[in-house]
Amino acid sequence: MHTTKEKRPSYRPLVSNKVLQQTMGRYYALTSWHRYWGKFLRRPLAWVTSGAPVELLRAFNIHCAYPEQYAAIYSARKATVALCEVAEAAGYSQDLCSYARSNIGGVLRPDLAPLGGMPKPDLLVACNNICGTVLKWYEVLARHFNVPLLVLDTPFMTDQLTPQAKDFVIEQLSAMAADLAEITGRRFNEKKLAEQMNLSRKITSLWIETRQYCQASPSPLNAPDLFINMAPIVVLRGSQKGINFYSKLKDEIKERVELAQGAIENERIRLVWDNIAIWPQLFSFYKMFSEKGACFVTDTYSGGWAVEQAPGTPIESMATTYTEVFLNRSPKFRANQLINLIKEYRADGFVMHSNRSCKPYSLVQEVIRREVMRETGVPGLMIEADMADPRAYAEEPVRNRVQAFLETFDDLK
Amino acid sequence: MVETINPTDSKEALELLIEEASLKGSDRLSRYPKHRFFGYFCSYFPEELIIAAGLHPLRLLPDSENSTPVELPAYCCSLARGTLDMEVREKWRDLVGIGFAHTCDTMQCLSGVWASSGQSKTVDIVPPVMLKAPGASRYYHAELHTLLSKLTGLTKQEIKAKAIRNALILCANARKLAAELDVLRPNLPSPLISSLLRAGQLMPRSEYTQALVNSLPALKAMAEEPHDKAKVLVSSAVLENDSLFEMIEELGGRVVADDTCTGFRHFSGVTVGESEDPLLDIVQRYSEMPPCPCKNRSLNERISYLTTLAKQRHAQGAIIIIRKYCEPHAWDAATLSERLRKNGIRTLTLELEGANAGGQERTRLQAFLESLPDYEL
Ligand code: SF4
Ligand code: SF4
Repeated sequence: MHTTKEKRPSYRPLVSNKVLQQTMGRYYALTSWHRYWGKFLRRPLAWVTSGAPVELLRAFNIHCAYPEQYAAIYSARKATVALCEVAEAAGYSQDLCSYARSNIGGVLRPDLAPLGGMPKPDLLVACNNICGTVLKWYEVLARHFNVPLLVLDTPFMTDQLTPQAKDFVIEQLSAMAADLAEITGRRFNEKKLAEQMNLSRKITSLWIETRQYCQASPSPLNAPDLFINMAPIVVLRGSQKGINFYSKLKDEIKERVELAQGAIENERIRLVWDNIAIWPQLFSFYKMFSEKGACFVTDTYSGGWAVEQAPGTPIESMATTYTEVFLNRSPKFRANQLINLIKEYRADGFVMHSNRSCKPYSLVQEVIRREVMRETGVPGLMIEADMADPRAYAEEPVRNRVQAFLETFDDLK
Repeated sequence: MVETINPTDSKEALELLIEEASLKGSDRLSRYPKHRFFGYFCSYFPEELIIAAGLHPLRLLPDSENSTPVELPAYCCSLARGTLDMEVREKWRDLVGIGFAHTCDTMQCLSGVWASSGQSKTVDIVPPVMLKAPGASRYYHAELHTLLSKLTGLTKQEIKAKAIRNALILCANARKLAAELDVLRPNLPSPLISSLLRAGQLMPRSEYTQALVNSLPALKAMAEEPHDKAKVLVSSAVLENDSLFEMIEELGGRVVADDTCTGFRHFSGVTVGESEDPLLDIVQRYSEMPPCPCKNRSLNERISYLTTLAKQRHAQGAIIIIRKYCEPHAWDAATLSERLRKNGIRTLTLELEGANAGGQERTRLQAFLESLPDYEL
């Protein structure tokens, strides 16, 4: 039964959302119209993976577009199924990552893609620090567009970063700088790279600070806020526009904390989220929680961009920072990360999205879940879905599992 | 049982190899009571170093394609699920350790899951993915050094350069013999060849090479011109049994080119032995062998290699197998199929849960083989 109070919207909108929309709107417009200004300004367009060393590209004045980001938009705008079907008909198995499939669908049928699809790239840059999928995906794109593909191979870390892995990545980054110089006709300027790294550091600090405010009770942000507000840290890292946005967001969140305004009404249960958002159900899914006073106070996904740069020269720092990305690390590391989040954010439990699309994120989750529960004593729920393809989402079983999980807190509180 | 291990009679040697291939190592303790085995998953795990450490490399293959260990979700390939389930059932208890070579995302995860929930000791090596990237060889070489010290830690015995050299020679010999088998492929039943090659990933290698040498006369005697067979190339990840090859043969096909992880791809490529440092020879071999879809030597190398191979062997068709949830092979399937077709080679893509081909596959395979130009029965 809902009380009148509970009928009020359980979601508190952010004032800075407007700035977010403006900032991102401008970015998408610029990207869409790249063909009109790119050549003129000698700024090629690169499609890059979310873990690519974007500071280096920016140091060459390259404009970056993120297929993963577009794929999330396709999904939020309910275009994923149609696009995936195009890719599937072209021979790409339904079991492949839905970001990749919908991106390929959009390449083959831009008319079906929101925003008119992505503008054609001049080059492709992939880094396998997030998965092996990106290599295969970008190989397909490189053949299709017949443009250069630069790959940064960041060896998977079974434990600590080894000296040989670090040297290997440094060597590749230096070679990549030389390749980019040739592609863009610009010289590699280490000072410019240092400036980019500086801007990146600033934006990352703001994102870290903003997130840390969620340690307060009630938490000023809930998972959908985190997912929506992470867009600029991904696509505008190293830009002043991104910094401006996060300054505003941080101020607003700080104020929320001072006023003890929670992201949801009556925060009762504090949870941590693990894995990529369920984009097609962004509001309905998380509403099942917020209705019951459960707030996702932090997450591992958008937290992937809240990592400080490693020390060293710009290239050394990039080598370490990009290799040490959490998806490139062992389940042991990931379990510790989750344990720390639960402690720091005083969480009562955690929810893992077993994401059919993303094997590196998901296949290890069960052993992590057990370890985290053992170490922290808080319950962890596993839910099977897909970040973008709604065909993998079974509403009823998910609802039942969520309800049962949330009821366990009724007994405890 | 030692006398059955190394028969000198050609036919018996052949029988032994076939038996070993079907046992998939399950009888190792009674057959080879004095041997210590070390499990591995992938052809990129350098078996030379396992042998140099005084151990016997055993490729881990699942005993069922329907296992669902709780540690892994259902949307994970049955190779990972099946072998992990066997770990839970303590089927690998006697192994000195289990080696993981970083290849696909699933293997990467399996190694972590195994280390967290299994009893066996695990050892990882992370070869470069971009095999020709600047610094890749140096990195690979350093990784091999690290692997050497991990293996030393496991056996508590120093691994001498001489032992590595000897292992290189043994492996080179096995590969040379496998290449001889591969040449006989058009003239011999396909499931037989696939069995013989699989045995070479399960048995102690000296026993294997010896038995293979001894069985070659029998094999050569059996060889005959395949007049009316439809010639096909098969590309796949791991196949733990000969079900598919049997079906192809039954339906009038013949596998003339084999690009499977557990087939000839495992042995293909060169073995060199000239460097002062044997680890450099290992780097060179594994960097230059025909790549699997998880590795990149250049954008189109794998696709071109397979197209050329199919043409050289006069394949009329290609059967591309996707093990359910196996991403790397699924990714290449579309491009490979397109490229082969452009070269006049028909293709059939089949998705299998494991290695077993069933009724549905039979119908599709039959229709496919019948559609090939020279097919007549
Ligand atoms: S497999 Fe996972 S990490 Fe890789 S592109 Fe897809 S969602 Fe991203
Ligand atoms: S390559 Fe394919 S079959 Fe082999 S472990 Fe990876 S996903 Fe499984």
